[in-house]
Amino acid sequence: MIAVYRPGSSLLHRMPAGLKVLGFMASALAITFTAGSVWTQPVAAVLVCAGYLVAGLGLREILRQVWAVRWVILIMLVTQFVFLPPVVASANTGRVVTIMVLAALITLTTRIPALLDATESSLAPLRRFGVNPAGVGLVLGMTITTIPVIAGFAATIREAQRARGVPVRITTFAVPLLVMSLKHSDDLADALTARGAG
Amino acid sequence: MTSLPLISFDAVSVDFAGRTALRDVSIVLHQRRIGVIGSNGSGKSTFARMLNGLVSATSGTVRVHDLDAARQAKQLSRKVGFVFSNPDAQIVMPTVAEDVAFSLRGRGLSRTEVDDRVASTLQTYGMSDHADAPAHSLSGGQKQLLALCAILIGRPDLVVADEPTALLDAANTRRIGNHLLDDLEQQLVLVTHDLRLAARCDVVLRFDEGRLVESGDPTSVIERYEREHA
Ligand SMILES: Nc1ncnc2c1ncn2[C@@H]1O[C@H](COP(=O)(O)OP(=O)(O)O)[C@@H](O)[C@H]1O
Ligand SMILES: [Mg+2]
Repeated sequence: MIAVYRPGSSLLHRMPAGLKVLGFMASALAITFTAGSVWTQPVAAVLVCAGYLVAGLGLREILRQVWAVRWVILIMLVTQFVFLPPVVASANTGRVVTIMVLAALITLTTRIPALLDATESSLAPLRRFGVNPAGVGLVLGMTITTIPVIAGFAATIREAQRARGVPVRITTFAVPLLVMSLKHSDDLADALTARGAG
Repeated sequence: MTSLPLISFDAVSVDFAGRTALRDVSIVLHQRRIGVIGSNGSGKSTFARMLNGLVSATSGTVRVHDLDAARQAKQLSRKVGFVFSNPDAQIVMPTVAEDVAFSLRGRGLSRTEVDDRVASTLQTYGMSDHADAPAHSLSGGQKQLLALCAILIGRPDLVVADEPTALLDAANTRRIGNHLLDDLEQQLVLVTHDLRLAARCDVVLRFDEGRLVESGDPTSVIERYEREHA
């Protein structure tokens, strides 16, 4: 769901990670705070497309990134349609999707250690409020790593249940998934401690 | 051989919430390759995990290479590289190179130094072609190789492997076994159900219901174990 680094030599690849993280934060804030304007979405969309083209990833990659978060989009749309007028609900969702596609552009063009360093230094001022920047960076990296593993668990459970003819229901699916994920996080915690990050 | 540092257990017991995992274990080890065998639940993992401070003794003392395992757990985790059975649960970062580089974080090395060491480590284990591959896309055997790279790049003094080949096929078991038993310079503690790997160690320990029931020459320890479980 979260993009993994694609090696390359484009301008975006070579740009310092800190600059990219700051640029991303600034864009995300701009998109959020200019929500009222009809111009926000078209301008953001054009800029995002330009970014993907400059990075040599192509416009198809944007579609792949959007497709990767299709469930998130669906959940956002459904929950918002219940409470908000359709126009507002779609605009909100559009903004979040734009920000996610932009985030993917950063992770596609930046090695994670560089990204972690950059995130950590940009969060350094928050240290006095009790935020541990190294911890935040680590969680970020591990989240990206763990998502395909959890997706793998989900696939395994689905296969095993289909083989035994278990009807697909959220309870019969969620419980084993939770158990496997908790076991995994236990093992991962051990590995982290063993690798000196604990 | 005798120049290798010591691992010593002195009257060590470990209790987990009323269950005794290790009972009164005492031994001194200076061999390079130390094999550990025994049935499921016999205490092998508990023994192995004490060597890097993941588990601490309820009573008794563990010393590993001049460090007190209970009091100097943090230093110990830097000196000891630990390979687990489940390759997926050892990968922390998204791509192969990133995961290996993760082991060098916080050591104050420059970016180029880190990159050089990552490249040469991957090269040594034939993983260069996968440097930028998403780690989860590797095969089980490659993931264990990655785990090994991620540990060895930190230049540990002791490598502990807890059933590192349990989830591998025969060819990958041999490959990982060869790397651990033949290529390493540092001391190795290898917990395994693969008696052929255990036979290649310099000494084998056998655990049974939390007790260290035997230690010594691999051939005789393994033979008695096989006879009793025939
Ligand atoms: N974290 C733990 N909590 C409770 N019991 C444990 C824990 N770890 C191990 N044990 C128990 O200690 C005993 C020895 O386990 P272990 O060292 O994992 O054996 P082995 O690796 O030989 O299979 C078993 O009875 C096991 O159930
Ligand atoms: Mg075990």
